[in-house]
Amino acid sequence: MRDRRMVFFGIARGAMAIILALAVGAVFIFLSSKTPFTALRYLLIGPLLSFHDGSVIFNAQYLFQIFAAMIPTIFTGLAVCVMFSANQFNLAGEGCVLAGGFIGGILGVYLQINSGWHAVVCVLAATVACGLIMLIPALLKVKLGASEMVTSLMLNFIILYVVLHYLNFNFADRTKGATMTKAFRSTAVIPSLVPGNSKMSVGFIVALLATALIAFFMYRTRWGYAIRMIGINESFALYSGMNVGWTIVLAQVIGGMLSGMGGSLEVLGRYQTYLWRELPGYGWVGITVAILAKNNPVYVPLAAFFIAYLNKGCLLMSTHCDVPSEMIDIIQAAIFLFFAAEQFLSGFRQKLVVKTATEDLMRLEADRGSRGGGSHA
Amino acid sequence: MLEQFFQAVFKADFIFAVIRITAPILFAALAAVIAEKAGVVNIGLEGIMMITALFGFLFAYWTQSWIIGVLGAVLTGGLLGLVMGFFSLKLKTDIILAGIAINMLGAGGTIFLLNMFTGLRGNTGNLVTPNILIPTVKIPLIDRIPVVGEMLSGHAVLTYCAFIFVFLVWLLLYKTPIGLNIRAVGENPDAASSVGVSVLGIKYVAIALSGALAGLGGAFMSMYYSQGWNSGMVAGRGFIALAAQAMGRGEPVGAMLSSLLFGLAQALRTKASGLQGVSSFLVSLIPYVATVLGLVIYSISLKRKARKHAIKAVKP
Repeated sequence: MRDRRMVFFGIARGAMAIILALAVGAVFIFLSSKTPFTALRYLLIGPLLSFHDGSVIFNAQYLFQIFAAMIPTIFTGLAVCVMFSANQFNLAGEGCVLAGGFIGGILGVYLQINSGWHAVVCVLAATVACGLIMLIPALLKVKLGASEMVTSLMLNFIILYVVLHYLNFNFADRTKGATMTKAFRSTAVIPSLVPGNSKMSVGFIVALLATALIAFFMYRTRWGYAIRMIGINESFALYSGMNVGWTIVLAQVIGGMLSGMGGSLEVLGRYQTYLWRELPGYGWVGITVAILAKNNPVYVPLAAFFIAYLNKGCLLMSTHCDVPSEMIDIIQAAIFLFFAAEQFLSGFRQKLVVKTATEDLMRLEADRGSRGGGSHA
Repeated sequence: MLEQFFQAVFKADFIFAVIRITAPILFAALAAVIAEKAGVVNIGLEGIMMITALFGFLFAYWTQSWIIGVLGAVLTGGLLGLVMGFFSLKLKTDIILAGIAINMLGAGGTIFLLNMFTGLRGNTGNLVTPNILIPTVKIPLIDRIPVVGEMLSGHAVLTYCAFIFVFLVWLLLYKTPIGLNIRAVGENPDAASSVGVSVLGIKYVAIALSGALAGLGGAFMSMYYSQGWNSGMVAGRGFIALAAQAMGRGEPVGAMLSSLLFGLAQALRTKASGLQGVSSFLVSLIPYVATVLGLVIYSISLKRKARKHAIKAVKP
């Protein structure tokens, strides 16, 4: 009884948070748009259904595009899940996506392996490299007690400028107008899963596999247990003999590896050359995804789908109506604030708890009464 | 090449630039100091600066008065602080997550809001008029001194305010009852509440003040530093300010010194990137690497101090 009520409460609260966030978005749409209802239609159902002359068409290509957009955010979402589970507010996922994309891209251009293993090597190299990058904030935290939050924020900018330096001075293809590398070798390109131009690559399957792997790691291995325990109560973890320092480093290195893998899969799966010249933003979206998933890896793909869906909706809204696509940031921020709010709807929760407890007491009373009656007779 | 570099650096206008670049970081670092003293990590400084830079500019544009613009920015900053406070203190959103949400609003939300209010995309372009820029002042006597005058006189009003605020924040924290309460709440909330201090109330006050100070930094950015608002203009200054606070040991004067260090690093970057054969990208790294190094040095010194205390405690 109690469990069912609490599960119901959890779902209701999440739904309420999302509805509130969308309502905030709707308010801004009504404030800024001349055709608010059309804008809302594009935002909410545009990504799946399109309307032509009164008939409704399901748009499979859009769905594939949404799946494609989920690839990097599933990875960053998983990375944030692992790091935040250990209470490590490491925000360098953003930089690691960029670094992973760059390293994967450069290897995709210059490495010569004439088989499908080329792409695998590129992605794995990016993964390992980003794991090593994350050692910086992790070790500074464990050895010196320097805030991983501040160092990781700085690390994002350091990675950005180092990548820009090498891109401009060593790897730029001067025959092209914009700053980008030469084209990836065909062996390094991550193949597409579906026909068409949706960019839904094999990376999507890798992302789902990574989800399963991380879920297993977090809930079925002792390292995952240690990571979660440190997040719940670090002192308890320390006094019960866990190697807290090592585990904190592990969590952040895994976070870096996942972000780097996501970045390289995205770059090799979506583009023909490496061309990112600013931080791509997937690291921050990953935080939203992890919060929506309540730090549980299993829910990460669902959360990533939701965000990708909204994003697509915002894009459609900005192409067909007069509402800028940056709307997504306002909705995301609102989701963020309400979803992460532990006390949101706490009054309602309190009522549920009281109701359950009263019922339990009454049942106990009735139980005792009937048993008492039996012994007297 | 080095000679050129040193010639550029050892000039009065270089110091002038350092002071100008330091001011917005200093406002935000002081904002971080106040919040941190009350036990609140204000990671939303970056977003607050972006949003207040926009609203400061808009208020100034609508009224054609820079003073109202600055006041608007301060008010917006304070309100954003209260919003963060409401979510973190009342609804128990993790304060770091609340800060990240504010940063999201600052990154994309501002572009949306600018479009909503003015129909412009990404920057305020031709809305800038002399009326809405923060005026500069010449200090009467110092102005006459040859080199020092060039360094210290002719800054914007808010630049001087930034350095005056170092003193004011110190005064607030150490010489007023509310400052005492802020520090008490930050150091030991249970003890503070046991003597009748409203812990929540004090935290609200601290985070609102923090937001208001960041608002001054935001107004400085759009109404003086870049002479207009554009997306991405704060460029990590809010984060650097957090580092300055940590490096300055959470004290106003320490935060000022580390802010000056970042100002210096950034001014060096502008000087060095003008030179032939120097990668502007690697020079751009200077402030961020300096931040990490500063934090490392600070952490090591903290650790040493802790060890010394531990040894002293063992051998009295």
